[in-house]
Amino acid sequence: MENTAAYVPTDADFKLKGNTGEIEIDENFASQSFWKDVFIRYVRRTGAVVGLILIVLIAVMAIVGPGMNEYTYSGQELSQKNFAPRIKALEKFGIFDGSETMNTTTGSKEINYYLEKGLTDLEYWFGSDNFGRDIWTRTWSGTRVSLIIAVAAAIIDMVIGMSYGLISGYFGGRVDMVMQRILEIANGIPRLVIVTLLLLVLQPGMLTIIFALMLTEWVGMSRIARAEMLKLKEQEFVLASRTLGAGSFFIIFKEVLPNIIGPIITQVMFSIPTAIFTEAFLSFVGLGIPVPQCSLGSLISDGFNSFTTHPYQIIPPIVVMALLMLSFNLVADGLREAIDPKLKEM
Amino acid sequence: MKKAKALLAVAMSVTLMGGLAGCGSSADTAATDSSSAAATDGSAAETTAAADSSAETTVTAGTSDLNVMIETPVESLDPQQATDGTSFEVIADYTDGLMQMDADGQVVNALAEDYDLSEDGLTYTFYIREDANWSNGTPVTAADFVFAWQRAVDPDVASEYSYMLSDIGQIKNAAEIIAGELDKSELGVTAVDDKTLQVELNVPVSYFLSLMYFPTYYPVNEEFFNSCGDTFATSPETVLSNGAFVLDSYEPAATAFHLTKNETYYNADSVSIPGISYQVIQDSQQALMSYQTGALDTTLVNGEQVDQVKDDPEFMAIGAGYLWYVSPNMDGVPELENLNIRMALTMAINRDSITEDVLKDGSASTYTAVPMDFATGPDGSDFSEDQTLFADVCAYDTDKALEYWNAGLEELGVSEITLDMVVDADDAPQKVAQVLKEQWETTLPGFTVNLTIEPKKQRVQDMQDGNFELGLTRWGPDYADPMTYLGMWITGNSNNYGLWSNEEYDAIIDECTTGDLCTDAQGRWERLYDAERIVMEEAVIFPLYTQCNAEMLSSKVTGIEFHQVALNRVYKNAVKAD
Amino acid sequence: MKKYIGKRILTSIFTLLAILLVLFILMQLMPGSPFNDEKLNEEQRMALYAKYGLDQPIVVQFFKYVGNMLRGDLGVSYNISKNTPISQLIQTRLPISIRIGGCAVGLGAVVGLILGLIAALKHDTIWDSLATVISVIGVSVPSYVFALALSYCFGFRLGWFPMLFSQQDIFGSSVLPSVSLSMFTMASIARFTRSEMLEVLGSDYMLLAESKGISGAALIFRHALRNALIPIITVLAPLIVDLMTGSLVVEKIFSIPGVGSLLVNAIQSNDYNVVIALSFIYSAMYIGIMLVVDILYGIIDPRIRLAKKGD
Repeated sequence: MENTAAYVPTDADFKLKGNTGEIEIDENFASQSFWKDVFIRYVRRTGAVVGLILIVLIAVMAIVGPGMNEYTYSGQELSQKNFAPRIKALEKFGIFDGSETMNTTTGSKEINYYLEKGLTDLEYWFGSDNFGRDIWTRTWSGTRVSLIIAVAAAIIDMVIGMSYGLISGYFGGRVDMVMQRILEIANGIPRLVIVTLLLLVLQPGMLTIIFALMLTEWVGMSRIARAEMLKLKEQEFVLASRTLGAGSFFIIFKEVLPNIIGPIITQVMFSIPTAIFTEAFLSFVGLGIPVPQCSLGSLISDGFNSFTTHPYQIIPPIVVMALLMLSFNLVADGLREAIDPKLKEM
Repeated sequence: MKKAKALLAVAMSVTLMGGLAGCGSSADTAATDSSSAAATDGSAAETTAAADSSAETTVTAGTSDLNVMIETPVESLDPQQATDGTSFEVIADYTDGLMQMDADGQVVNALAEDYDLSEDGLTYTFYIREDANWSNGTPVTAADFVFAWQRAVDPDVASEYSYMLSDIGQIKNAAEIIAGELDKSELGVTAVDDKTLQVELNVPVSYFLSLMYFPTYYPVNEEFFNSCGDTFATSPETVLSNGAFVLDSYEPAATAFHLTKNETYYNADSVSIPGISYQVIQDSQQALMSYQTGALDTTLVNGEQVDQVKDDPEFMAIGAGYLWYVSPNMDGVPELENLNIRMALTMAINRDSITEDVLKDGSASTYTAVPMDFATGPDGSDFSEDQTLFADVCAYDTDKALEYWNAGLEELGVSEITLDMVVDADDAPQKVAQVLKEQWETTLPGFTVNLTIEPKKQRVQDMQDGNFELGLTRWGPDYADPMTYLGMWITGNSNNYGLWSNEEYDAIIDECTTGDLCTDAQGRWERLYDAERIVMEEAVIFPLYTQCNAEMLSSKVTGIEFHQVALNRVYKNAVKAD
Repeated sequence: MKKYIGKRILTSIFTLLAILLVLFILMQLMPGSPFNDEKLNEEQRMALYAKYGLDQPIVVQFFKYVGNMLRGDLGVSYNISKNTPISQLIQTRLPISIRIGGCAVGLGAVVGLILGLIAALKHDTIWDSLATVISVIGVSVPSYVFALALSYCFGFRLGWFPMLFSQQDIFGSSVLPSVSLSMFTMASIARFTRSEMLEVLGSDYMLLAESKGISGAALIFRHALRNALIPIITVLAPLIVDLMTGSLVVEKIFSIPGVGSLLVNAIQSNDYNVVIALSFIYSAMYIGIMLVVDILYGIIDPRIRLAKKGD
């Protein structure tokens, strides 16, 4: 009694402490409003929204960008090679005026090829590369190729990895044992070996790269699907369905799958940037998209050789790539927190 | 004669080092004692090498190592197993053969102080220097050569360059031993005594002496070899030197290794630099930055970097010998079996644009089947000096190309042609292929080229299997004679990728290798032009350019000798100022 | 527990053998041969195949290889470094890769943890966003660009560190490569630490600990971080293997004689023995580390062991 009298409650005593998750604990995963809730929680996260807007913007540029000027991605004009970026509208501010400072071994010098060659009407917004191809056009068509490759690879590996993981987890026992050993073998071989071999055996091209990326990425996806399955398969709704006579595949794909779609989508979002990156690495090793086609990775690896000579050639693809990676990661983070507010998965 | 050669050599090296000479003289005016002394030493050393290795001139010993950048690690230090330029270069640093090249590319004596040639041109007798010793003190003997050459043809060793002794060197019984029909002891090479080596040939070989500086022909000491067991040439302890330097730090496939001057070398007095330090750098930008900080004395630069260095007096283009060309498949590809189409393709190529706008490394446009600057004729002139010799059938002429193209399309009865071209997945070939595609497609209406980019190993196999339509490929000379190229297009040769066959051509080549013209240098030379004309008129290949490497070479360094055949760079006469 | 460990080790050995067989089959699929230099003719190539036993059926080759491997003989290289025993190549190169990879993992893990902690503790503030952006930049810029930029700034312009690897100055010349390699680890660890910490911080026992009056550093390090670390180690383990087995890109740019560039060269030049040996070492390290992690888990958390038995 004495103690109670001595204690004076403060405002802090009436605040809920760090249990924001609990407020939403009543949600029903099967209810209609789940995706609506997800949407509301997602929109609340500024980073995730910015990421989504950026992705949409870059995707739009990837579609319309290459058509915004008269150049094509493969058209060469060798007399106009290595022109620095020039945008006439910005010239008066002293930027994008087509001049560059080159650090030669004998001292640095300022060059403006547009003036030197008397091509005062000419504009290369991002400059031109060592074949005289427009970097603006190439950057956006490269973005297009990279996005197609990454999204396609991510979706295909989602389908394969998810099915594999769900089946392995559902049946358990011997099936699981064998399937997990196979997965361990596939994962134990260095990716580089598998990917390069594939690219050597098959015709080089976009489809082969998608296939190679898919082969190395499905493992992570199947792990997540399996873990989810192990968690859910002992639950009552599965048991109920089984008692009612539902077949295994009906339970796996119709009952369990809809309940784990959240973490799966999040994983897809994470695997897209990984795929973009792997493609860039393949380009560096010389096994990327065949010339004269280009991807962000091959543009970076081309520009890499002129890194110290004409740095403007590598900047656009790197900036676009970094923005893409950043946005996909932000979106994935946002989705994860929106779908599972307890941040339980991964 | 010798004197004239020496003068020529000095003149040559001066032209070669044009930029350096300029630098040297400015150092003189600056009157720094050491550098002017070194400059004099430099020319002295060159003269020594050019004249005769036995004429010994002493040079002041330099104080700092030569720092050299190489692009790829050494594949093998075993002279009979090595196949790549880097390995050859390093092996030659510490091993001398019977003969060597002077700065001018002419054959001069090395381990052999003299030689005799029998009148029928079939027997060479080499007399080895009395003072030639291995670095463990044992003398270099004729038996060392016999052992090494027998290794080169031994089927158990399976040397990849065994054909240097059989097909090219024409040493008696070599081909039979390689095929396993005879024992290796039957090889036509004998040690008459410790210092006398006799070689028997099947047919007279006009360029035989020039083969003696090819590393496959270098000696190996049998006793030492056996003492190493399986580890021969994998560490400094398991190699013996008889040359200007001794290997003192090396690991297989190392990215950095070092050689020190061999004090027991018979010509040690003419070696100025105290050692060579090699650094493998695969990234060209790192290489150039290292060069700029002074960590390297010489480095390669890529085409993109040329803009950065082209005004630098230390920049130069060094011939690498390789001829790059497009090989059309004339067996099974009807479009390419048509001569008009082939002519159209070769006429539509703007070679100058490839070399000047894209490669930029000094590579020279080439309009002949034999590239420039490696084969010198009996009159001392370069075989392919006149690049307009076949201008009627190989030149850049879009109008003519279009004429041929339309004629070809008419003969084939089609209006569009689509062809695949296989290309190495390396930087330069990919660039060249992209330009070729663009040039062909803009000049020849209805033509589409698809590029298939493959790793080199696979590209070579595809071409050897005849599994290609057009192929961008290269060939480096094995010896200083046009035959190293012209021998490729005889019927049935494994490097005749296009599977072209022409009886008249085969007859000429036969005549020049084993026939009557073997001993008639002038007549043979003339006939080789006839053979080349057939190749060009039939457009068997579309020659593109002779490769050059863009290099930076520090103005402190003089006397490095650059060659197109066998050994690309020779350092033993190099001088580095402090 | 012993039975569980024994069983895990046995399956691992079986898996490794299976991987070896798969590698052998993959090598057969590889187009081109180790010897088809353009100057070789068919007979010479056959002679070389015979010399190295490549003309025998794959099953014979496989059992021969396994037999030799048990005796410590990994075969010889065909063309990267002709006739050099691969064990010799690996002996000199693997330690270099492990050292640089180790530095990178250490650096990446420490910086990543700090960034992740900051982000989690200051959740949804500018610090959180900043830490996220820094960690994402780590994965957004290809490591070769990063490596070259570092080399240009700190090697060439400022001259603080050597640009190329050298045996004489191993410490100094390992700095730039380690930093460029650590970026990816750093970013992954930061992101993971953040989400794990957020989860732990929101859990009931943290609330309990806090209400018991534990606060400040003790709360975070003794209660929160400890619990968050376990899953982080699971993520770190495969990253360690990736880094220790060398990175092609960084090795190429800094001229490091490691195993990463060796593997790529071997693949491109069809040097079968080198590819098989290096891939096998990679697999063994990977499966070994996974095994250790599994066993450690079993010791730390009996539920996992029991659950596995239940399967």
